[in-house]
Amino acid sequence: MLDTMDLQRKLEILADSAKYDASCASSGSNRAGRGTGAAHQSGVCHSWTADGRCVSLLKILMTNECVYDCAYCVNRRSNDTPKAILTPDEIAGLAFEFYKRNYIEGLFLSSGIVVSPDRTMELMLEAVRKLRENYHFNGYVHMKVIPGADQRLIDQAGLWADRVSVNIELPSDKSLRLLAPGKTKDTVLRPMNRLAQQIAAHKDERRTIKSSPAYAPAGQSTQLIIGATPETDREIIKLSEALYGKMALRRVYYSAFIPVMKDNRLPALREPPLLREHRLYQADWLLRFYGFTADELLDAAHPQLDLSFDPKTVWALNNLDKFPLEVNKASYEQLLRVPGMGVTSAKRIVRARRAGALKLDDLKKLGVVMKRAVYFVTAGGRYGGIKKETEAAIKIKLLEHKNPNGQLDLFGQGELVREGLEATVTGQL
Amino acid sequence: MRTYLYDGTFESFLTALSLALERDEDCAIAREAGAEAGLFSEFVNAGNDPARAAAMRDFFEELGSAESWHHARCAFLSEASGAEDALLAYARLIKEKGRGADDMLADDRVKRVHGLSASVGGEAHMFKGFVRFKELADKTLYARIEPDHNILPLLTGHFKGRLGEFNWVIHDARRGRAALHFKGRLVYAPLTPAGAPEFDGKEDRVQALWRHFFKTAAIKERTNPKLQRQNVPLKYRKNLTEFGG
Repeated sequence: MLDTMDLQRKLEILADSAKYDASCASSGSNRAGRGTGAAHQSGVCHSWTADGRCVSLLKILMTNECVYDCAYCVNRRSNDTPKAILTPDEIAGLAFEFYKRNYIEGLFLSSGIVVSPDRTMELMLEAVRKLRENYHFNGYVHMKVIPGADQRLIDQAGLWADRVSVNIELPSDKSLRLLAPGKTKDTVLRPMNRLAQQIAAHKDERRTIKSSPAYAPAGQSTQLIIGATPETDREIIKLSEALYGKMALRRVYYSAFIPVMKDNRLPALREPPLLREHRLYQADWLLRFYGFTADELLDAAHPQLDLSFDPKTVWALNNLDKFPLEVNKASYEQLLRVPGMGVTSAKRIVRARRAGALKLDDLKKLGVVMKRAVYFVTAGGRYGGIKKETEAAIKIKLLEHKNPNGQLDLFGQGELVREGLEATVTGQL
Repeated sequence: MRTYLYDGTFESFLTALSLALERDEDCAIAREAGAEAGLFSEFVNAGNDPARAAAMRDFFEELGSAESWHHARCAFLSEASGAEDALLAYARLIKEKGRGADDMLADDRVKRVHGLSASVGGEAHMFKGFVRFKELADKTLYARIEPDHNILPLLTGHFKGRLGEFNWVIHDARRGRAALHFKGRLVYAPLTPAGAPEFDGKEDRVQALWRHFFKTAAIKERTNPKLQRQNVPLKYRKNLTEFGG
């Protein structure tokens, strides 16, 4: 199967078409067993491409042909680019050869719609089944579910894959109807809902019958395109909150819109809104790991995330009455809300103060970013910030650290940036 | 001051550590090869005493905890300069405070050993991704690595778990050591390759496919070489297939 130049060309076309999908995580599953391969609970990144994004999976489309004509999508029917299709054997063989050389953690398989959603889903399932059964492959598999495919086929995806996903892409029904004729909120949410039910049901069953099969052990994810349509950050974050809550999604990915082709329904952006994407990821992290709700971060009067400050700092500045916090007494949940503290440093504080009272000098050693936290904490009653802390005064102080090279480096050393940006760019967690 | 010399192995180091812990006055631990005689220092060869080494493991695990032992082992694998004395100070603290020692995260003695352990653990995790196997003519998978720390012992379990049905070699070229996995058995051995290995006929084509995939997967509009360098430091690239290794 590797003997033709043809395969190289096909791989190029189908990797090129798949690369706009932001998901690359290989985490959340610990599949193992006889045969080759295993999944790693926390995921493993194998390399990073020139855009700084991690490569963890062989991310390809089965085909870039498509019967749909979605304006934002590079694979739209009316886009006059070379088309290619890989057979199930080619996909399984390629994934296996890459895997055994440790290039990848596994396979990410998506596809345009060829013939019909059912036929597409059948071929994709066949590729993954071959990989699992013929190659005895226990590595990670992420499978896209094709909206509109028969429920029986959708149900099978979770039996073969570690993670399953349906991309919402456009954050509102109105935008979907405008840019993705043939798709509605319902066609996207229906399979998502079905997968959520299947995942929950199998989990329940495995509690009592250990031998029953795992169903998408790494759960379900989705992706939203940012900046192609007029939705506010508030609408987007509220949607994510609902997806995490009601659909038990593991991850929502945000993908800054890149105008890959011209269309008068799309905005003419000069550059993808990367900083906005970054702020959304930070807000998303605050929902999932820091105990914040969407309403605490954004309200009707402030529907957009501040581009100059990370969302936790903005929240803290708006809630100065809750600060400064005494680090020797504050609960873990309270510590998580201090700018400059992350999950790791908050846990370290809780642990280290068991051994003795903490002083301000100790905090830096525990990994707290003091240039931001200093305005919001005391240690043993001592405060290291400015005398009369007001929102405006702290803002000015914080901005003094602004990097002249650009806004993305505003808090370049910050823990939230490290935890947020790197982890999201790498797709881990 | 007395300096205990060890032969480079973990067992010998633990022997030295155990001897040093028994003395109240100041002493140091150094590797035989690196130690230079000083006017006022006295050198004692610690030798290699399995019973003392085993007792040191019990010391860390029972007086401290499984976590203390983990940090001690990983910090030793760092091969960082001063790691030996840092471990001695850490062991003294455990002797004094017991399992509470590891809670003292702001204490420099704890911070140093935990920090060394974290950088070793971090590099080992990175190499779970960075090991690149090439298929040899006899179907053995061969990987060459040059990590900063001696992480080979921390990698083998991971690859045994996923490539258990293959014969493979992970070769730490920097230390001239290799982990060899043959017919399901794992051994460590010194390794200096005699010449260029002979690769499987298909190997070049698979590598070319991978390089093509890797190049294509980058989004032009998001080019960010600084972020890429941060994640794949230049020093690791010469053994990475996609960077020409």
